[in-house]
This record gives sequence, C-alpha cells and structure tokens, in this order.
Amino acid sequence: MILETHDLTIPTIDEKCVIINKVSFGVKEGSIHAIIGPNGSGKSTLAYTIMGLNNYKPSSGKIYFDGIDITNMSISERANLGITLAWQEPARIDGLSIPKYISLGIKDKVNTKEIISEALNIVNLEPERYMKRNIDESLSGGERKRVELAAAIAMRPRLIILDEPDSGLDFIVIEDFLNIFGKIKELNMTILLITHREDIGMVADYGTLIWRGDSLMTDVFPKVMLRYCAKAGLKEFCKRKLFNGKQQCFDEDYIDKIFKEEQGQ
Amino acid sequence: MNNVEYPEEILESLEDYNIDIRDFLPGHGKGAKLLLDFNRISGVEQVEGVILKGREIENGIVADIIIKEGTKIEEPIHLCFGVNKETGVQEIFPRIIAEDNTDVTVQAHCSFPKANGLIHKMFGHFYIGKNCNFTYSETHYHGENSGALVAPVGYMYVGENSIFENNFTLTRGTPGKVKILIDIYAMKNSVIKSNIRAFGKCKKDSIRIRDSVFLEGENARSIIKMKAAAKDGGEVLMYGVTEGNAPRCNGHVECNEIVLGKGSICRARPFIRAIDPTSSVSHEASLGRFPQKWLDELQAKGLTEEEATQILIEAMLQEE
Ligand SMILES: Nc1ncnc2c1ncn2[C@@H]1O[C@H](COP(=O)(O)OP(=O)(O)OP(=O)(O)O)[C@@H](O)[C@H]1O
Ligand SMILES: [Mg+2]
Repeated sequence: MILETHDLTIPTIDEKCVIINKVSFGVKEGSIHAIIGPNGSGKSTLAYTIMGLNNYKPSSGKIYFDGIDITNMSISERANLGITLAWQEPARIDGLSIPKYISLGIKDKVNTKEIISEALNIVNLEPERYMKRNIDESLSGGERKRVELAAAIAMRPRLIILDEPDSGLDFIVIEDFLNIFGKIKELNMTILLITHREDIGMVADYGTLIWRGDSLMTDVFPKVMLRYCAKAGLKEFCKRKLFNGKQQCFDEDYIDKIFKEEQGQ
Repeated sequence: MNNVEYPEEILESLEDYNIDIRDFLPGHGKGAKLLLDFNRISGVEQVEGVILKGREIENGIVADIIIKEGTKIEEPIHLCFGVNKETGVQEIFPRIIAEDNTDVTVQAHCSFPKANGLIHKMFGHFYIGKNCNFTYSETHYHGENSGALVAPVGYMYVGENSIFENNFTLTRGTPGKVKILIDIYAMKNSVIKSNIRAFGKCKKDSIRIRDSVFLEGENARSIIKMKAAAKDGGEVLMYGVTEGNAPRCNGHVECNEIVLGKGSICRARPFIRAIDPTSSVSHEASLGRFPQKWLDELQAKGLTEEEATQILIEAMLQEE
C-alpha cells in the first residue's frame, strides 16, 4: 500500500464537530483509487488532510505514506516525499505564468523546459499557445484545471490526489480526461481520485465509499459503486447506467440482493 | 559614438530585472539616448524627430527632451542615470515635451549599485500634447545596502486625446529611503495609466509614494495601480490620489500590499474626490498576507512557506 489511513478522525477547525470519523483505507501503488460519496460527506476534507494543509489536522488516527508515518509532517515535507494535490477550484494568480507555475514542482532543473512542454502536451494544451499566459482570470475554467493537472504531472509525484478533476467540464471532454488519467498511470503514478461522476469513476480500479464522514467500504470499484447506489436507493439508475451493456459486471439477482441488504438495515 | 565609457557595475546592475543596460547604449538600436555617469554626461545619441540636450550643472544636469510633432518611434528613448559611488549628490532636472501626434516611450534606468549615503533627486516636468501616446517607465536599483536616498518629483500635463502611461519599478535590491511625488493633470478625453511597484526588504528601507491624478478635462479616464510588499521591518506607504474635476471623467485607484515579518509596515491610502456630479472615482485596497489557499497550492509542489511567499510577491510585483 502506498497510502494508508488508520482510524483517521478529522474535526472542524473549531473542533466542535467531526467531519471524518475513524476512516481507515489503503491505496495500492500504481492503481486509480476513487473516493466517492455524496456532497458534504467529507471527501475534500479527507484529501486536504492527506496532503497536510495547515487548517486540516486530524484529532486522532494516522496517515502512512509508503510505510512512513506522515501524520505530523508539513505540506511541503509531504510534497517532497512524493504526494501532491490538484485542487477542485485552483487559484487564479495575477502575474504568475503557466510555465513558472508548472516549474515549481520540477526537481530536474536541467530539463525543466522539456518537462513543462511534455506535461502541457499530456493535458492537451499546446505549449506554444500557453507558455506566455498567466494562471489568472483570463484562463477558462477547463484550461485552469488542465494546467493544474499538468503542474501535478510535471512534479512526477508518486501519488496524485485529484479533487473532482471533472467538475466544471463539458461532457464531451470527459473522454479526454479519461485518456489523461491513463497517461498518468503509464507514468507510474498512483491516483487518488475524488469524483461525483460514475463514468469517470469507472476508470478506477478500487474505491472507498464515504458516507457522512464514515467510510463504509473499500473494494474493487464496481462493488463500491453498487453499494453507493444501494445506499441511495437508486436501483433503476444503477441498472440502467452502471451495470448494463459493456460495463456489466453483476447479474440482476446480485444487484437485487445488495439493494435488499441495504434497505433491510 | 560606439564606444562609450561607462562603469561595468552599472551596466550589469539590472540583471535581476533581466535587463542588460548595454542593449540601450549609444550605438545599439535606433532610439535616442542620454547617459549620465554621476554628474557627467558620458554619452548622447540623437535620432530624427527628437531633440535631446543635456547641460551639466553643479550636482547633476538639466536635460531637455523634445519630441517633434508627428514623430512616432518604436525604440525607446533611453535615459540612464547611474552612480557608481557610495556617496554624493546627483540632481536631475529633465523637461520632457511631447508635441502633438507623437508616439514614443521613454525608458529610464536609475542605478546606484554601491549606494551608501548617496542622494539622487529629480525634478521633472512633462508636457504631453494632443493625440499622443506616451509611455514613461523608470526602473530603479539602489544596491544592497539600503544606502540610497531617492526623491523624484514629477509634474505631468497630458493633453487632449492622449494616452499616458507611467511605470515605476523598484522591486530588486534594497530601496533605502525613497520619497516619490507624482502629479498628473489629465485633459479632455485623455487616458492615464500609472503603475507603481515597490518592495521594502529591511528596517532601513522606507518608501513613500504619492501618485496623484487630476482629471481636469471632460471624459478623462485614469487608473492607478500600486503594488507593494514590505518584509523584515521594511516600510511602504502609498497614497493614490484621484480627483474627478470634470464632467463624465472616470478614475480608479487600486492598492495591493503584502506585509511579512515583524515590524514591517504597509499602508495603502486611496484618496478620492469627485467634484463634478457626473464624474465617478472609485478605489479598491487590499492589505495583509496572501490567501492561505494560494500558499497551500504552492507548498503542495514542495515549496516552503517562505519560498511560496517569495514566488507570490514576484508574481504580484510583475510588470504587466
Ligand atoms: N467549520 C465547520 N463547521 C461545521 N461543518 C463544517 C465545517 N467545515 C466543514 N464542515 C462540513 O464538513 C463537511 C465535509 O465537507 P467536504 O468539503 O469535505 O465535503 P465533500 O465531500 O468534498 O463535498 P463536495 O462533494 O460538495 O465537494 C460538509 O458538510 C461541511 O459543511
Ligand atoms: Mg469536495
């Protein structure tokens, strides 16, 4: 396991409530691991805490990266170990150029230029068109998110946390993003993928279901997705959109059984 | 005049700005040039349409720069005011006249790499005629000892339908004591853009800038952008003044300042006044530190908080 959390509990800043409650799960090296769960279930909070952001400290539990206890490490220390995060809503900063921004995480200071171009190519931004632009308000939402991905890729981290890389994207570019994830995987990076979209999630090998701060299960992705649908009572959706046609992996009886289990509880 | 004698230390001193002053020397490029080495004029180059005259006085020079009617030149007129000494007084009295229908840029480099008790004063008068496009940019370097006292004063008259851009940059090295006063008078339909950027880096750095625009003509427009950072006890005070004194004129003042470290002071004060009821003048100011999210984003790339802050300061003070 490249990443493991053990009974991780994360309170709100004022420490009055708990957002994430004793969550334990593991991420296999080289996999795409999805975190799914409804709005407000604590997915971003979990991502920020794994990255080590200043305002997100667990009250108990541990985080291990490659067997090392990183629970008390700073964000920069974690980044230098090989973890990075691409934000759901990345910041717009006047005067900061795209190549400068992407270069910040690159350790190889000799071939920086090539690495920047390569990263821009992976996310399908033509380097010539974007080298002189800034990460300011002039970029479209989709462009900014691609630059964010490029910056993460250029770092060559071992683990990339992607917080809703699909939010704000048109459905016709989703296919493009699926290809990008494939390329990231080829570069031997592990992806922790937070998403709301079942079609994006389907590229994941494994998944963890977070429900109101509790982690309900970690398993191969289709099983996690099935449980998620059952939990939400979305049987028709589940049959029609997820496990029919080419993505069929469960027979009707099995789906019915899982839904019954959930409703019975 | 191809071989001008000029101190290497000054020629190289703007390296951190990615500027090589050699590129602006007489014999290079097509712009007019005036080179001042402390109190001595060490190079002048004339071009058609521009009259450039300097006369040495006791502690400096009086200079006349006249851009003749209709002259349009792409290459900047270059003024270099350098002092390669620790102490002394350099006083400059430039008079700049841009006649009607001209389009020029004046680029001034003011560099005092060894300053340690050095005084540089400027008292400038600018007269910009009608239908002009005039840019005046000043880039300063005061060495690393906070040892300069720099006090420029500029009065600028901008005629009808003209565009005037003023840029002042002092973001590398240690500024020392800096006091700048700029008054710009904007006539009918003129457009004024003034960009000021400064960075105070230690206790001995104190920068005070007052940049004023008086919108005196109908439909005149202006925007003042002041950006500054102060760290480790440095002090930056910026006053952006705009008066709307004519019908339908429109002005805006924007001040952004970042304060880092104990004892540093930043003060941004927009003073705005609309006398004509159809004029509109607005301001916007932000003071303090960078948003945590910006720092987090850069730190997630492996930068320490100090490194991230440095990158953000550079981005903020970047020329547009
Ligand atoms: N200071 C606070 N006080 C109370 N609740 C808080 C506080 N901060 C965060 N929360 C709650 O914590 C929960 C988790 O938020 P988080 O952003 O992690 O959810 P998410 O799963 O990423 O949601 P989304 O899918 O909408 O992005 C939310 O319900 C939020 O309202
Ligand atoms: Mg979220």
